Amino acid sequence: MTITEASAPEGLVIVGASALGLPLPSTGYARQAYGNVSVDFGPATWLTVGGDGAVTVFAGKVEYGQGIRWGLAIAAAEELGLEPSVISVVLGDTERTPWDIGTFGSQSTRHTGVQVRKAAATARQALIELAAGRLDLPPDQLICRDGRMASMADPGRSVSLGELVAGQSVVREIPEEAPVHAPAEFTVMGGYVRRTDGLQRVTGRAVYAQDVVRPGMLFARVLRPPAYGAHLERLDDGVATRMPGVASVVRDGDLVAVLAESDQQADAAHDLLIADWSERAGQISQWDLPAALAADPHDPVVTQELGDVEAALAKAAHRLEESYYIPYIPAAPMEPRAAVAEWADDRLTVWAGTQRPFGIRGELAQFFGIDEDHVHVIAPEIGGGFGSKSIYRPALEAAQLAKLAGRPVRVAYSRIEEMTWATFRPAALITIRSGFDADGRITAWDSHAIHTTVDRPMIGQRGSESPYAADAIRSIVSAGPAPLRPGSYRSLGCAVNHFARESHIDEIATAIGMDPVEFRLRNLPEPRYRRVLEAAANEFGWKTVSTPSGGGAGVAVGLDVGSYAAECVAIGIEGREIRVERVSASIDCGLVFNPEGVRSQMEGAIMMGLGGALFEAAEFEDGHLLNGSFARYRVPRITQMPEVSVTICGGEENPPTGAGEPGIVPIAPAIANAVFDLQSKRIRELPLQRQLS
Amino acid sequence: MANAAMARSRYLRFDLGLTGTKYGCGEGLCGACTVLVDGQPLRACLATVASVGGGQVTTIEGLADGDVLHPVQQAFLEESAMQCGYCIPGFIMSAVGLLERTPNPSTGQIRDALAENMCRCGTYPRIERAVLRAAGGRE
Repeated sequence: MTITEASAPEGLVIVGASALGLPLPSTGYARQAYGNVSVDFGPATWLTVGGDGAVTVFAGKVEYGQGIRWGLAIAAAEELGLEPSVISVVLGDTERTPWDIGTFGSQSTRHTGVQVRKAAATARQALIELAAGRLDLPPDQLICRDGRMASMADPGRSVSLGELVAGQSVVREIPEEAPVHAPAEFTVMGGYVRRTDGLQRVTGRAVYAQDVVRPGMLFARVLRPPAYGAHLERLDDGVATRMPGVASVVRDGDLVAVLAESDQQADAAHDLLIADWSERAGQISQWDLPAALAADPHDPVVTQELGDVEAALAKAAHRLEESYYIPYIPAAPMEPRAAVAEWADDRLTVWAGTQRPFGIRGELAQFFGIDEDHVHVIAPEIGGGFGSKSIYRPALEAAQLAKLAGRPVRVAYSRIEEMTWATFRPAALITIRSGFDADGRITAWDSHAIHTTVDRPMIGQRGSESPYAADAIRSIVSAGPAPLRPGSYRSLGCAVNHFARESHIDEIATAIGMDPVEFRLRNLPEPRYRRVLEAAANEFGWKTVSTPSGGGAGVAVGLDVGSYAAECVAIGIEGREIRVERVSASIDCGLVFNPEGVRSQMEGAIMMGLGGALFEAAEFEDGHLLNGSFARYRVPRITQMPEVSVTICGGEENPPTGAGEPGIVPIAPAIANAVFDLQSKRIRELPLQRQLS
Repeated sequence: MANAAMARSRYLRFDLGLTGTKYGCGEGLCGACTVLVDGQPLRACLATVASVGGGQVTTIEGLADGDVLHPVQQAFLEESAMQCGYCIPGFIMSAVGLLERTPNPSTGQIRDALAENMCRCGTYPRIERAVLRAAGGRE
């Protein structure tokens, strides 16, 4: 939609392109990665200044814990000289915000944050021009601060932002080169800013998908198969339909659900459905998966190739070949997914806690055969997702059921549904063959990673390239059988590939008796890599030793979403449990908008990664998930919290890159390396705790 | 529509519209539904409406005094002790209960008291700092 001054509301409207940083739709990668979605490149409204002076930012990203509302408020506040907390940020609403591909891959600051800064700088420029006329001062003698445009020489001579735009409509387009502040001018960005949307969270007023209630809404409880691939043979709903409060038991193809006036009534009736299922026999169980992956790799992709790796291996002074296995894990966000759908004639509104409101809109429109403009998807606050809420089935389930019922319908997953019917971080089997000399030089590196894959072979490619210098390198990523549905997860594929590589690097260091920090520094040509490693090692107080030293220290580095990270860990053993005592982490994510946000994300990624490193794994047998509840699935608790320090390296010399994911990349191999250092036992399979006890 | 056997958390969320009490697991294992009954933390998903009859129930919505936040809420705000925030009401209620019993807890006591509350975003360091701050502010 073109925004003109005639159609714009009162105030200042800043418009600009959407679909930022997106690979061109014609590339195979975009289609593979994002599915068949329609892309709207804009222009769209990014920022408004109302006649009352209120500043509102609009972005199609969603807030699911990463603090993007906080970060975008800081970006706009910097350019407009405001307190970040006074800026409203509207997110993830297909009728109000610019089109967006989805919130994943740590792109929110890289692309959206940069665009919001430009929008705010454009707004400042427009407001300066308006104020220059109003105050009869040259533009270069005006300063925008605390909601007013004032004379630099005489701060009393000022006008409020609201007064400048009241009673008129001014539309400006974001230019290619918007006049954003240089780092030396920053007054807000890069400093300490308290979370801007905290009040709603500490008072319980933040509304999540699980909390959405609409007038006349029915509560659904969907009948789930007892196992993956099971087929419903017979359904007897005679008792369930007569239960109090039950509106109906509906069946639409494979979708069967009880609809009732309350959550409790829907659950009670659901438990009285009598269903006969035929299960699919012969599914791969957890203990068979490593062998199944080894036996059936397909669609290999070479992600890195340098020289003749076989020749280099043949003439290497020393060789090492090892395999590493990383099991499936669920994301297990605190909020199980939920959606409410409401139809009005042929228009559909869905509240869904998804990372892809625009993508879900497209899927809904396609399913029901209606125009995308007739579908409105709103992402409320999202109680975590870590990548897994890109695929969001309850949105469609609620829409199907609401259409049949003729009333709004809520589908809210229980914990066991969330664990069983969401997606899992793909399992992988990775074999590395290396050649090296006694001086600590890698001469050959050959890696073959087989990731469980259904339809998106690129999921295992991220982070598969080795950053270490070598005479010959080859990295191959293949797809393998997927008994559980793989989906996105924090640092998808990348953290998994790093577990193998960073473990193997330590094994080489041990083989030649070299300190693992020293060995890495010697073989990492990229200065940003060396800088984060040195920063983490310094903060940790790393003492140069060859492993195993019995001390329980481990190190690993990583690169993800353009950012470099390193972590040094100190561990101990309590009874038979590995206890991570201390983590010294460092990150270089280029220009930092919000250092407190970066630290919080690093701490969180480390804490989350601790679970996958130590004890998390999906257990499954012949199509049945065996640990789909918190009673059977252990995640890190506050009692497992190590002392964590985060050093932010680098800065303005590089553009902003992601901070939400890199922290999880080094943690598992760093702990595995520390276990070897402590116990002389090399564990090549996650979770580590299972291999010890 | 409430009946005596209904889970307290469902009654609060859907009959009273107090959705600050969250659903996380329904098994009393994650702490997202923690409320206070006569000042002490209780998992509202496991307690029935009848089981807390006569007790005074406080939810996250009732913690602040008008616009003045409870010191624990204020401390969580000041430490930015949250990411997605879904677990935060439960943590705050558990922490308020702890400080009622133990006004100046050690970090060990804080961890023990909050061990049954889960945060998947991993904001534990900030949560611990927030509870220490709230305790310090009371002196």
